[in-house]
Parts: sequence; structure tokens; C-alpha cells
Amino acid sequence: MSTETETEACCSTPCCVPRNLALTYGALLLRFWLAVRAIQTGIEKYAGSVGSDQLVKIDGVANTQGLTSTDSAKEYALSHYHGVPAALLKKFEAEPLMSSHTVLGIHIDPLKIYDVILGPTLLVLGLTILLGIANRTSLFLLGLLYISLTWGLILIKQDDGVAWLGVHMILIVMALMLADHNRFAICKKW
Amino acid sequence: MNQPPSSISRRDFLSKTVAGAGAGLVLGAPNILRAANADGADTIKVALVGMGKQGRVLFEAMSNIPGLYFQAVCDIWEYNRQGGVAKVRALQDHTPKGYTDIDEMLATEKGLDAVIVATPDFWHSPHTVKCLEAGLNVYCEKMMSNSIDGARAMVKAMEKSGKLCQIGHQRRSNPRYRFVLDHLINGEKICGQIVNINGQWNRAVSSSQDIAFNPKLTIKPEILEKYGFKDMKQFMNWRTYRDLSGGPISDLGAHQIDIFNWFLGAKPKSVFASGGRDFFKEREHFDNVMAIFDYDTAQGGVRAFYQVLTTTSAGGGYWESFMGTEGNIKMSEQSAYTSLFREDSAKSWDSLVERGFLKKKAAPPRPEATSGAIASYESKPPEGFELPGDLPPIRLRSGGTAPKPPHQPHLENFFAAVRGKAKLNCDAREAFESEAPIYYVNPSALSHQPIVFTPEQLAV
Repeated sequence: MSTETETEACCSTPCCVPRNLALTYGALLLRFWLAVRAIQTGIEKYAGSVGSDQLVKIDGVANTQGLTSTDSAKEYALSHYHGVPAALLKKFEAEPLMSSHTVLGIHIDPLKIYDVILGPTLLVLGLTILLGIANRTSLFLLGLLYISLTWGLILIKQDDGVAWLGVHMILIVMALMLADHNRFAICKKW
Repeated sequence: MNQPPSSISRRDFLSKTVAGAGAGLVLGAPNILRAANADGADTIKVALVGMGKQGRVLFEAMSNIPGLYFQAVCDIWEYNRQGGVAKVRALQDHTPKGYTDIDEMLATEKGLDAVIVATPDFWHSPHTVKCLEAGLNVYCEKMMSNSIDGARAMVKAMEKSGKLCQIGHQRRSNPRYRFVLDHLINGEKICGQIVNINGQWNRAVSSSQDIAFNPKLTIKPEILEKYGFKDMKQFMNWRTYRDLSGGPISDLGAHQIDIFNWFLGAKPKSVFASGGRDFFKEREHFDNVMAIFDYDTAQGGVRAFYQVLTTTSAGGGYWESFMGTEGNIKMSEQSAYTSLFREDSAKSWDSLVERGFLKKKAAPPRPEATSGAIASYESKPPEGFELPGDLPPIRLRSGGTAPKPPHQPHLENFFAAVRGKAKLNCDAREAFESEAPIYYVNPSALSHQPIVFTPEQLAV
């Protein structure tokens, strides 16, 4: 069939448009997906709810029993920052491998440090991947970050989360494999 | 109440972290910041006695209360003790001393203000009495004791020592329950004459299984024996043994039968119960119990039916329903189970809605009308309402909010009383007067006989 011959002929040339375009699209889609995933996750670390709690009023007077009505709305603010979700934080705090210790006279609390850096790190890596700055290194660092998250979830036996992060790792590896086909990058080096 | 140098309250922590959060993305380290106790409240030094499941529940609730300093942890099981120490350390950056024996703890620890007792039921009374005699204020989990004499000893020790002893009937401090009693039942009398009460706790068989344990964590036999357990299985499942607990009617039912008595402001005059080992045939206690209490109240006679089933969750969980001639209030610690209904023949509650007492629920679909003889016996469906609020939410370290744990208001009331700023909502005497009839449910079920109470049976 002539179609097969044409394809072979096309692929033998340096400008194999159909195959490279597909791989480039694949690289871009993965890159954008991973970037959006990291950026929005980082942004959500600054999400919180503002509630207006007030004692229920009877005939215009606040009740003395403490019955409270609450209206709440989601908002983003630096003051809402929480690196590790509160529900998980308590579990981590009880883990001996997460406990603080002193090295060379310096008090180190790994959980607090991690809690502080997680959100900003996700944002920075998400942005570098989105903009194409040191794409391969950024993806590698994002992979390391997800490994650290995986380790934490293994500690507190959150197997669903471990599997979920495993899927992310596969996507990162695929993105690295397609890195040669990446386009629209600010800094292709590294 | 002293000021330990490393204490930090959750409230201070939150206020400080919010203030420090302006450092932003780069410097933003909200929960790395620490602060001194800034609310001016004297710190209360607390010892935790019993760090099993219920002890941990209470600790989680207390971790939201400012001005507490957890000084010591006592539990005969190393696993619980170390877990408790770790939780305290995580909360307040201080490692409390752990003890196996409460006597050693009381002899060693200086400056304690309060003790939280969450040990198995048969230890409640000895532990509470020891602590009261040592001059400490006590919050003790319900049921007061596995025996009525143990409960009596607690009341006497409280009154002799002059110290505070709050019993953990936490609904007594729940704003929803207090609001309903003060405003709706006693104030507006929306039920009319309460003629019947129904209550239940139906728990699935899957949630009622024996608790397993890791053999590597087994307590030494001599320690188990010293503290009244014949083996590790009994230690883990003390709630199913007659000498150690009151069984399901005590574990689960006591909370709700207490509400019957509290809301009616009366003691029952008799109880007639039935129970059986219908599924868990190896257990000493009945797995299913039903009891009928008769009351004479100022408004007339009331019959109260209560069932605790540890073999099925069918029937809608746990609640107490107060049925009156004009309305019905179905209460539960779970807001979702709470509902109020007005009898069709009662006067309108619209003015109560306007004044803020109630919120109106959307009307349920009406069933198709039946005809003939049956219709003449049917009542019109009642009008539905709900409470206008709930417990206040707590602010999380993350900046979000969460429902306040149900035990927290009762613990807050206890610590406020320790500070001299409140009266206990359920001291040992009040708890005894409400709990006393419950001690006769199992004997009635065992003998298949009603028990008509004498004043002596219900007296301290």
C-alpha cells in the first residue's frame, strides 16, 4: 500500500512532522498537567475558610447556652497557610521518625520544616515546569518531592495516597522521557 | 496554678501564627512560631490517667482548650502510655513524665491541679477517690463506676474533699441540649405535656467486635493481675465483663438515660428490662438490652423506652426523642439526627421561628390519602423544624474550621470551674442521681422482674 511507503519515507527524513508533533503535544500536555497539579496544590495551601460565627439570638438577645450559627466562605490568604493538612499533621506528630532532634547543637524539627517549605516548593516547581525553566531538573525535583510525600503517607498507612502519588510518579517519568520533544521553554538547559 | 515555662495554649498558638503569617511565601512559617501564654489565664496543670481510646478522645478535645499544661501521663499499658506522652510532646513541646501506677504518680508529681480519669469503669471510683483525697480536681468519664457503691464513694469523696468532680456526661454541656432544655422544653414548653420518651443506640455488629491486640505488645501477666485483669484479652475488652463494667446499657445507654432524667427533672419510679446474648453468646454482658422506665413528674406520668443494640445499626443510630401532646423533639449528639415536629393540632410555631428559637424545615412530601376506616385513625403529618444553630466551630492550625468535638464544652466547663469561673454542669452528686436507676437495668433483665425503686436504692 502506498500509505505505508509514504510513512516510512517521511520518518526517514529529519523533519518527521506527524510523529514529532504528536510527541511534542504529549510532552506539552504532560508538562502543563503536572504544572497545574503542582501550582494549584500549592495555592490550596493558602486556602482557608472565613466564618462568621455568632450566638443565636432570641428576641434579639444572644442565647447564654452557646448555640452558635455559622456562615463560612472559602478564601485565600497568607495567614491561612498550612503545608501539611491538619488532619494528617496530628498523625505525623505522633510518629517517632518525625520527632524533633538536636544535631550539632541545632534543634531540628523535620515536620515543621517540611510544613513550611511544602507549599512554596510546589508553587516554584509548578511555575518552572509551566514556563519551561530547567524542565528536566524541575521534573526531577518534583519527583523527589512526591517521593517525600509518599514516604510520609507510608508512615501513617495512607495506602490510597501512596498509590495516587505512584500515578504522579509515572507521569513525571513519562514527561522526562518526552523531554527531548519539549517546546516553548524559557530555558532548555538542565 | 503555676506558669510552666514551656507551656503554650492552642489559642495563643493560633493568634501568634496568624500575626506572623505576613512574612509570606518565603518566610511564611506560621506554625513554627511559638508564643507564651498570652491570654492571662492561669495555666492548669493536668495529669492524664488512662490513655486508651476514650482518654485519647478527651485529650484531642482538651488540645483545643487554652491554658492547660499536661504534666503527667499514667497508663498500665506501655503502648498507650508512650502514645500519650508522644501526643503531649507534639502539642506542647514538653515531654511529660509517664507512670504505670497512679499512686506513684500522685506521690511524685507536685503542683497538679486536675486529673482526667479515663480508665476502665471498675477503676473509675478508686482512681477518682484517690485523686480527690490527694486534693485534686477530677474529671472522670462516665459511667461513674461499675457498681452503685463505687459511685456512692465518689460522691462522698467529692463532698468530703471539697474538690470538684465532674462526670463525663458531656451532653450536659452541649449548647444544643442546653438550648433545647432551657428554651424549648422549660421555656416555651413546645412539647406540651411530655408523655413518652424513646431513646436508642443501635450499633452495628461490625463496630461491636472484640478488640484485637498485637501479641508483641502484651502486658506482663503480673501487671495485668495487679490491676485486676486476668489476661490481655480481658484488658482490651473489659467492657464485655460483668465484674469490670456495666455493659452496653452502661457504656452507651448511660449517656442517653441521663438525658431522660435531666430533661424531665425527675428520677424514674421503676424499671423493667429485658436483655440477652443474642449474637455475642460468649460475652458475660447482654449484647441487646431494652428497658422501660416509669416516671411521675409534675406534668403527669411519663413512660420512657430505651434500647441499646450492639448487633445492628438499623433504625437510625443514636438519639433521644421527647414526645409530647403538642410537639416532638428528637435530640442526638449528631446534629444530623436532630429534628423537631409540631403536632398538627398544636398552635403555630411561626412566632417561635420569627423570634429565633427555631428554623423551619422544608415540608416533607405528604403521603397519598387513604380512604375508609383506616383514614379515620391517621394523623396529619407533623410540621418539621430544626435548631437555629450548633456548637461553635473551632479554628484549626491550618486556618480552617472544624466542628467542636462533642466532649470539649464539658471539659471547658470543668476547667472554667477549676478557675472558679463556672459551676460544674454535672458534678458527681448530680451524675449519681441520674445514673443510679441505670445500675438496676441489668438486674431487672437478669431476673425478668420489674424493679420498683425505694428511696434508699437511689440515694447516696
